[in-house]
Amino acid sequence: MAKEFNRRALLRGLTLSALGVGGVVAFGDLLEVLAFPNGQKVALAKAVIFTDKKLCSGCRICEMVCSNFNSGGRNSSSLARISVEKEYLKGDYQPKVCYQCADPPCLKACPVGAIRVDRLKGTYARIIDERVCIGCQECVKACQQYFRPPRSRFDPQRKKAIKCHLCSGDPQCVKFCPLGALRVERSERGFLVGYPVIQED
Amino acid sequence: MNPHGGWVGKILRIDLTSRKISELSTFNYVPKFLGGRGLGAKICWDEVPPGVRAFDPENRLVIATGSLQGTLAPTSGRFMVLGKSPQSAPTESFCRSGVGGHFAPELKWAGYDALIIHGKSSKPVYLWITDGKAEILDATRLWGLDTYQAQQMIWKLHGNKTRVMIIGKAGENRSRIACILTDSGDASGQGGFGGVMGSKNLKAIAVRGSRSVDVAKPKELMKLTHHIQRLFSRKSLKSNPYEPEERGFKYNVWGGGYGRGSLSLLPGELLDLCNEPSSGYSQTPDGCFACPVSCRSHVKGPDITNGVAFCAQSYMYLESMIHQPEKGYSKITWQAAKLADLLGINAYELMAIIPWLSDCYRAKLLTEEETGLPLKEIGSWRFISILLHKIANREGFGDLLAEGGQRAAAKLGGKAEELSFIYYPRAGRFGGFREHWVYLGGFPTGYAVPPLALMWVLDNRDAMVSHSYISMLWGAAFTVGQNALTAVPEKIFPILKPVMKAAYGSEDAAEFFQSDGKSLNWKWTAPVVKRYHEHSLLKDSYILCDILFPYLFNANSPDHVGDTTLESRLYSAVTGVEMGEEESYRKGEMLCTLERAIAVRDGRTRRDDTLHGLYFEREDAGGRMYHREDLERSKSEYYRLMGWDPKTGIPTASTLERLGLKEVAEDLEKRGFFGRKP
Repeated sequence: MAKEFNRRALLRGLTLSALGVGGVVAFGDLLEVLAFPNGQKVALAKAVIFTDKKLCSGCRICEMVCSNFNSGGRNSSSLARISVEKEYLKGDYQPKVCYQCADPPCLKACPVGAIRVDRLKGTYARIIDERVCIGCQECVKACQQYFRPPRSRFDPQRKKAIKCHLCSGDPQCVKFCPLGALRVERSERGFLVGYPVIQED
Repeated sequence: MNPHGGWVGKILRIDLTSRKISELSTFNYVPKFLGGRGLGAKICWDEVPPGVRAFDPENRLVIATGSLQGTLAPTSGRFMVLGKSPQSAPTESFCRSGVGGHFAPELKWAGYDALIIHGKSSKPVYLWITDGKAEILDATRLWGLDTYQAQQMIWKLHGNKTRVMIIGKAGENRSRIACILTDSGDASGQGGFGGVMGSKNLKAIAVRGSRSVDVAKPKELMKLTHHIQRLFSRKSLKSNPYEPEERGFKYNVWGGGYGRGSLSLLPGELLDLCNEPSSGYSQTPDGCFACPVSCRSHVKGPDITNGVAFCAQSYMYLESMIHQPEKGYSKITWQAAKLADLLGINAYELMAIIPWLSDCYRAKLLTEEETGLPLKEIGSWRFISILLHKIANREGFGDLLAEGGQRAAAKLGGKAEELSFIYYPRAGRFGGFREHWVYLGGFPTGYAVPPLALMWVLDNRDAMVSHSYISMLWGAAFTVGQNALTAVPEKIFPILKPVMKAAYGSEDAAEFFQSDGKSLNWKWTAPVVKRYHEHSLLKDSYILCDILFPYLFNANSPDHVGDTTLESRLYSAVTGVEMGEEESYRKGEMLCTLERAIAVRDGRTRRDDTLHGLYFEREDAGGRMYHREDLERSKSEYYRLMGWDPKTGIPTASTLERLGLKEVAEDLEKRGFFGRKP
């Protein structure tokens, strides 16, 4: 027990200092569980989608494959858990994916505990349990404080929140992106990404 | 029962005169007329009688999507613009124009499969369509703005996820060669529908949707999409996006000679700048919606207008490359195309007008004083900027050119008109458009290819923009290390044989001249062109991209045989309506006949399906000639295959009834078209 306590204290210290200098991803390699000053403890995601906007051509296949795969064949940009933010005249295209935050605001905001870590599939993605979700959209609001567009969205037809769950370990957007602008990285130790390391995007 | 996938079920009708907006069911038209071009043709058959002129308020501007739009289906970003065309000359007739980009899915997500716009607003307006609602809003402040500025204004009002179809100065001034632009370069150019929008005082159509399009068999669609992606492109993870990952893999665009980012094909000043990281210029592949290839380039630079480059835009001002040979494809070439986009002028038509002006100037038929154009310096920035502004504003000589090259030439008459025939090969009353004529078979500069001649006479616009047949010729040329301009027919025949067999049913179709090498082989012309038209109608009705579909030539397999079942399989997966390949061809045949019936009602007969004399007077690069008798014989055979009267080129009543077009047969009967003397 003592060992764990020490470790947690160490982590807390590390996190705070990391935030102090603006956040560094790399030392996440050491960690599996991160404890935050508020006492929240969430296992780090072991798989994360990274994007390279330089390669993106803005074709939005990722959006379509996501909504088609995850919303039962309802194809729509508004149901996609990934979105391409495009400046059409400037030619600036940015795929926006869920970071599977180290300290996920959505998870903490959910009043009914519908968002949890996907241990079963081993990705440790932050996923929404649809059976529990009451469609209050608190997670959307929480995400929106830091990330725009919010990475969790609301499906008005089914009245449930939706978010990226890494397609249970085989992200379809990554598989279908014809330009290779998306890639999935896996690490047994987990990734320290998203909030609080990145606080705005 | 209505199909449960693909179409969203509603068509929006907007009457700009009475400002009345109503809805009708898409299922009045589909699945019978498929969507897109077929849907638009049916609407125009029903609502645009022969007496209606293109700029009349009664003319319809139909914006039609197909069943695949707004879904994962590859290249499903496209849609069609249809109506009576002001550009087709000398007779205004029903025409269509395809557009890529990202507008179509947004329209479907907003809840509409198509728009039917008619009437005329008393003051400038634009349409705002979102999630099952439509409004006609004031556009006084947008009027007169260029296409980029006006779009930016609309984005400020409605958010930058709004997609906009917009006209520039040219459209506002009812130019017959005005395009409708969306985003930074996708446009409905052919047909001059920008002028139709202008005549209705409609500056823009803005759409934003957050609904969805249901797919009947989502898993099937994913499987198929993945299959198609693997055929056309490969991933380039962490590497150069222009280079397919797998060694030796060719993008299957136009037979493998083409790929991602079209600017990389245009050597010169601009590409050099883009390849130099410190220059501030760059070009990146830019994808239309759901496209696995992204063949366009988005070009950026500090002193040029940013935007996408593609095809007509890229090649519009070739004269600049002659003017400054040391610079090749220069900033001027680029900026000229972008100026046409900003003013809303169809770049493709300019590819005929500019060389024609140059020919006339050289023949001393036009002078600088008379035209007010610096004709001495064709190829310079000064020339193109004066020319485009004059056309867009209908100033002086520009007023004449705004009528389109063919009408302008006819007005000048005499030698000047004759000089235009090389750019507008079709004679008769349904001539009209600058053609993709400079291909292999780009007679008279290249080789004569009989099917191309027949395709050309049967259309009323640029007939070969369905690249299917062409892409096979190109693909074969690239395979033997030649290109579209240098290919020698004898060399490509062996490669074409298996491909032609799969696509058109016979190896012999590959040999377009006789074994003696002296005369052309017309034998397979009619059946090939019939299948070509079926492919073309289907591709425009589902709607898929001209460049990728139909997939006839595989650049990566040893026999190069493509796969013609892809389109109907996509359609079946999305809509849940089973459609076999053969069945789909019957549909294509029906739609082709419907389009013919519209043309017939507008006055088209067999006599209008012809080329100007000069095409029968010159030898091609191989010393062979087109002969009128051969063309006429192929026409007869084509009409017979289609079930049209070979004497008149008019679909017969029994054919129309067999195809389920009874109402069309009755109407033509009433108007006395059957049993007419040719």
